[in-house]
Amino acid sequence: MPCLAFLIAFFMVPLFVTFFESVYQTGKGWVVYRYLDFFRQKLSRTVYVRSVLMSLSVTIVALLIGYPAAMAVISVRSDSLKSLLMTLLVFPIMTNPVARTFSWLAVLGREGLINNLLLSLRIIDSPVRLLYTRGAVFVGLLQLFLPLMVISLVSALENLPKDVPLAARSLGANSFKLFTKIYLPLTSEGIVTGSTLVFTGCITAYVTPAVLGGSRVLMLSTLLYQKASVTLDWTMATVIAVIMFLSTLAVNILSRAFSTLGVRK
Amino acid sequence: MKRWIVLSLFFLAVFAFSVQKLYVSTWGFNLDLLDKNITKPFLEKYGIQIERELGNNSVRLTKLISQKNDPVIDVVHFADYFAMLAVKNDLLQPIDVTKLSNYKDIYDFAKDPLGGNYAVGYTVYSLGIVYRTDKIKRPITSWKDFWSKDVAGHISLADITTTQGPLLMMHFNKIFGGDPYDPDLKIAFQKVAELKKSIVTFYKTSSELINLFKMGEVWMAPVPRFSWGQFLETGLPLAWVIPEEGMLGFTNVVAIVKGAKNLDAAYKYIDFILSYEVQLAEAMDLVDSPVNVKVKVPPEIAEKLTYGEDHIKSLVFYDRGFVVDNYDKWINKWNEMIAQ
Repeated sequence: MPCLAFLIAFFMVPLFVTFFESVYQTGKGWVVYRYLDFFRQKLSRTVYVRSVLMSLSVTIVALLIGYPAAMAVISVRSDSLKSLLMTLLVFPIMTNPVARTFSWLAVLGREGLINNLLLSLRIIDSPVRLLYTRGAVFVGLLQLFLPLMVISLVSALENLPKDVPLAARSLGANSFKLFTKIYLPLTSEGIVTGSTLVFTGCITAYVTPAVLGGSRVLMLSTLLYQKASVTLDWTMATVIAVIMFLSTLAVNILSRAFSTLGVRK
Repeated sequence: MKRWIVLSLFFLAVFAFSVQKLYVSTWGFNLDLLDKNITKPFLEKYGIQIERELGNNSVRLTKLISQKNDPVIDVVHFADYFAMLAVKNDLLQPIDVTKLSNYKDIYDFAKDPLGGNYAVGYTVYSLGIVYRTDKIKRPITSWKDFWSKDVAGHISLADITTTQGPLLMMHFNKIFGGDPYDPDLKIAFQKVAELKKSIVTFYKTSSELINLFKMGEVWMAPVPRFSWGQFLETGLPLAWVIPEEGMLGFTNVVAIVKGAKNLDAAYKYIDFILSYEVQLAEAMDLVDSPVNVKVKVPPEIAEKLTYGEDHIKSLVFYDRGFVVDNYDKWINKWNEMIAQ
């Protein structure tokens, strides 16, 4: 009961208020048409698709990199080494994302690490534009949220009964079948959690697209900032916030559906 | 003994509550200097305690809108554009300038920057061009130099969402032969869109711009004068240019909230910050450039301020009301033509 009360007070109520603000404006009445306004404009549609595609691609790459990383962490026999690896995973999450994003400026800048390396190896003769591109935003977001994926998968893999893979092997399963029939379905919960966390983080991230993408890579979050802080169109800002929330919910539901599909088979 | 302690604490509390207060909404920069130059002397002179509410322009404007029917704030500091928004939202009351003894001593452009005496400018800053003299060997003299081939790929311009952005666009429209008051700013948008590939990024804050210079990404950009001191501290070889078409002028203004409860104190405050003593102190501490014409500062201070006959003469001011009326349209056009 107290947990439910806490959830309702600090989660459901603010969510409801946000949703209400997006459909009702004091002085104007019901403004549900603002949602249509958003999707009617070519710019908003472009920005929305760009943000969703960027977030989905970061999520998929995080999964592709994160799963082997999580399996490697689990397979470590030494407990002290495993704790060290987990600490190294968690540590970046505790660092301010602003600081982590700004450190990319030193790596991707015109006089940064990568350009200096390529110049000294004579692979290029003048610095390449790496910053203020979609690539820079992609790398920044991946680095920010990959630990969340790995931690979710480590947790799911830890909960896998140790004798299940052994039993499967003894029944003749090869590595591919072991992975697709045992590991994937049984860690589906971890995959869904990790994917939701990474996707939510990406689609709502402001600092990384703003600092690494600059003004040319307009994303949902930077568009929201424009509406809230520059044109003071608070209704449209809440509309964008609700759209972000619903998109994340959709990804969660879809990934859950995919994972149960695997389990049923 | 205990009784005396309790009684004295009681009287202290009563005194603290009974000191007249003035609620001022302003930015959170240089608070220790503001206390030294304004809060303490004001309290000594008038026995009025200034209570500050802090934040950036848009947050404080939003708060004012929400307090409209029962305002807590008496006096508000805004960038001129945001003050114009406040006027359009019916949040301010006209100032009776005859009550300000120092009004006659300020620059003409600061006297009534919004029209209708809704606000008074208490500080001014310019937007000029800054460039690295070691990377760009020839002298820069014009805003049109941003379109030269020798600086391509190493420049930045103000994003439309900055305070300077829309006014810079109006100025570009004018210098390329158009009317700065063309609601579509056709020429400016065309010219800036032409420059897109050449621009590293459109800066959103002056601190971002300083970083871009420090990282070697940008060699030339429009720079607001209030950040010029920090640019000089980077140690890079930089020059400040007063372009032949003039620098853009901006004022930060002070205004009285409609329905303000401490009206008399509000007038005292505005007159106080326009006074020679306060304007000199704020200038010498490099907080704000003065609008009071009587203020004189030594050269080493002057070079970091918006100050001096040549500097002030070249300032160009455009109507903020025009920006407010067309801003939404310009932001949408910017997002479509330039931010992609």
